[in-house]
Amino acid sequence: MCINKTRLNVIREVLQILLVCLLQKELNPLKAPAGTRIALMGNEAIARGAIESGTYVITGYPGTPSSEVLMTIHEFGKGLDLYAEWAVNERVAFEIALGAAIGGARALVTMKAPGANVASDPILSAAYSGVDGGLVLLIADDPGPITTQTEQDSRWFAELSKLPMLTPSNPQEAKDFVIVAHELSEKLKLPVILRTTTRVNHTVAPVVTGDIRPPCKYVNFVRDPPRYVRAGMAWNRERHAWLLGQLSKVEEELVGFRVNRVEGSGTRCVVAEGVGYEYVIEGLERLKLRDKVKVIKLGQIYPLPKEFLRHALNSCEKVLVVEELDPYLEGKIKELAYESGLKLKIVGKMEGLLPEVGELGVNPVVDALKRFLNLSLQVETSISPLAAPPRPPPLCPSCPHRNTYLGLIFGILKAGYRREEVPIFGDIGCYALSVNPPLNAIWTEHSMGASIGMAMGLKLSGFKGPVVATIGDSTFFHAGLPALAEAIHKRVDMLVLILDNEVVAMTGHQSTLTWGRTEMGRPTKPLKIEEIVRGMGADNVAIVNPYDIDKLVATVKEYLRKPGVNVIIARAPCALHAARLYGVQKRYTVIPEKCKECMACIKITGCPALYIGEDHKVHIMIEDCLGCGLCAKYCPFDAIVEVKSNE
Amino acid sequence: MSEVVNILIASVGGQGGLTLSRVIALAAVADGKSVRTGETLGMAQRFGSVVSYVRVGKEVHAPMFGYGEAHAILGLELIEVSRNLHYLSNGASLFTADELKPPISSSLGIADNPRKADLIKEICSKARKVKGKVYVVSAKELAAKLGNPRAMNMIVLGAFNREFKILSDSAIEKAITQLLPGKKGETSIKAYYVGKSLNIVPTC
Repeated sequence: MCINKTRLNVIREVLQILLVCLLQKELNPLKAPAGTRIALMGNEAIARGAIESGTYVITGYPGTPSSEVLMTIHEFGKGLDLYAEWAVNERVAFEIALGAAIGGARALVTMKAPGANVASDPILSAAYSGVDGGLVLLIADDPGPITTQTEQDSRWFAELSKLPMLTPSNPQEAKDFVIVAHELSEKLKLPVILRTTTRVNHTVAPVVTGDIRPPCKYVNFVRDPPRYVRAGMAWNRERHAWLLGQLSKVEEELVGFRVNRVEGSGTRCVVAEGVGYEYVIEGLERLKLRDKVKVIKLGQIYPLPKEFLRHALNSCEKVLVVEELDPYLEGKIKELAYESGLKLKIVGKMEGLLPEVGELGVNPVVDALKRFLNLSLQVETSISPLAAPPRPPPLCPSCPHRNTYLGLIFGILKAGYRREEVPIFGDIGCYALSVNPPLNAIWTEHSMGASIGMAMGLKLSGFKGPVVATIGDSTFFHAGLPALAEAIHKRVDMLVLILDNEVVAMTGHQSTLTWGRTEMGRPTKPLKIEEIVRGMGADNVAIVNPYDIDKLVATVKEYLRKPGVNVIIARAPCALHAARLYGVQKRYTVIPEKCKECMACIKITGCPALYIGEDHKVHIMIEDCLGCGLCAKYCPFDAIVEVKSNE
Repeated sequence: MSEVVNILIASVGGQGGLTLSRVIALAAVADGKSVRTGETLGMAQRFGSVVSYVRVGKEVHAPMFGYGEAHAILGLELIEVSRNLHYLSNGASLFTADELKPPISSSLGIADNPRKADLIKEICSKARKVKGKVYVVSAKELAAKLGNPRAMNMIVLGAFNREFKILSDSAIEKAITQLLPGKKGETSIKAYYVGKSLNIVPTC
């Protein structure tokens, strides 16, 4: 359990903070004194909550919409006494946080919803052993989905793992709930899940800061096998019973924190949680019914606060449940009403008042409220937009992945295959954007590390042609290592391209295991992908700079024909990251007289810095060009030339 | 105008749309107002379509609003503006840079490649249906004159705030300094005032 600070320490802390604030011109969200009102994004507020709660170990794996929690600490937390580092994947991150918390330190671990699936094994066991220091697990869901492979509703995860779960509705609550979660976690000795959705993580709102407490570090760790060794079946039954006992105390422990509350009164009631609550309030204000409908706001999702709900629902005749994704609460509340003998009409998604697919917004909630309250469904009209050409995110200008996939495609052709004969398995990262025209490269993109395993499965099932797996550097460390070991061990012929751009690019340029220093400046031992791959026993290993596309084509051609697991490490830094760090050395421009409008440059590269002007010739958006020169290489008329840049 | 002002920012990832929404949010809080933004972060930030919702008022709850509910659209690119016109409310105003960045789909011939003049004309005819005003500003050119074409977002902000007057100049200066310390911030503050001092009449 985290030890409370002494009065002297408090005074010293406050003085230090004041000094820091005086020295700094801009407002630092992590160091601002208590009572400051700042505009914070939900994830920044969670980072602030980590500092206020004295969290010492903060870790996770990058994943939208969760990444900015650690990124905020990296940007503003210099000099703070804490460990805030990315881990190789979510399960290792969770295990690090767990290890810290069983010794009494406070820990926070962050991940997007699919990351929780990766970490599920240690999470479920951790519920049985429990913790001494607070352990808060942030799981960020993505209704929409805006940037995630599925619309996973991680509220089910609380039930599966039997861990308490809180869901905040806005940045202020997101910060405050980190502190509540830690208190609850230490009180019940259980990890606590803080579950958010994109519109909480990525919304900016005013947040009032609270007191900062000193970091809670290691206190004590004593050998206690029944608690920490999950090998004994009798112990596991005991711990299961203990876990259920702890869960029964959650509601009572949370009473003082007011995470659940009732607003307004009446017999028509709305139960809401997360950002759905904000839509309900907005909707009721729009309908001028805010004080005529009882709003039951839940911050505690698991276990369901049954006492509170029985009381709150007592005077209700009709209940509408507003929640994003699955009708989770709706089912739970129907169950509660049944077992409590409450005569209520409960409606929500199961009755079709709200959609199960996609995120909610004010309008769908207003429509549901109108139907629920039997108001006329006036359809508000708006004009239609213009039919604009689609703009899905492309590979960036100068992106080395563009060269890698071009080299791969040309190599496949050079080796004597047709493109449709060689499946290219993709993985999670920027390079998945190679699915779009003009590259039309990857055939699959599934889950972290799946490219290698899936390529192996197709091949061993009887597929005669060559198979290719393409995987980024960070994804390779995250989940590609076991799959590659499996492929090498089972002697399945395949070509593996590891796209090493030396950074986790898609989520905002986080560190990988090849770095010699982390974002916080902690010196690290850089791992070498080639040494790992050779050590595993790959048959052939080549390191190729993808900007040397001719060499890449030749290597692909050679490796496709050779039996064994052959690995090409396509290594060049992320162009966008390099440009930010070192500036742009050169750019390219088109000589209009020489451009014959053949469009070879555009058709081959699909670079977003290129466009066709009103004169029908190709132009280069000079401020977007990062100078790779791929377009110039493929211009048959030498119409694209280099210009020196001084930026 | 209702108590909450709904602003939609339409841009291409990398143009500074997110910075713009953040500056408005910071300035609103500095002015003692309430604010909510809904952002598109992640992959779309890389040259994809980016939409930010910003809501400023006395008491704001939802981070987003619906079609036909924007009091203002701030555009950094014309195709992205045209894609989001259904957000315009009756009598809304649209402030946009005259910038055109055709996406790959246009260049590859998969989709149309609109001409700038036609696009502005079409935007105007749509806006007229909701009695909206459209202000087209040569924001990039003006920002480039200040030394950084990327400050075009602040030119558009200046043009907007000249008409809407929802944020104080001092709060905007404070917000920009906080978000963009150093030279970038100085240029952005200048750009804001250039935008604000533009004696613009609606293009249509």
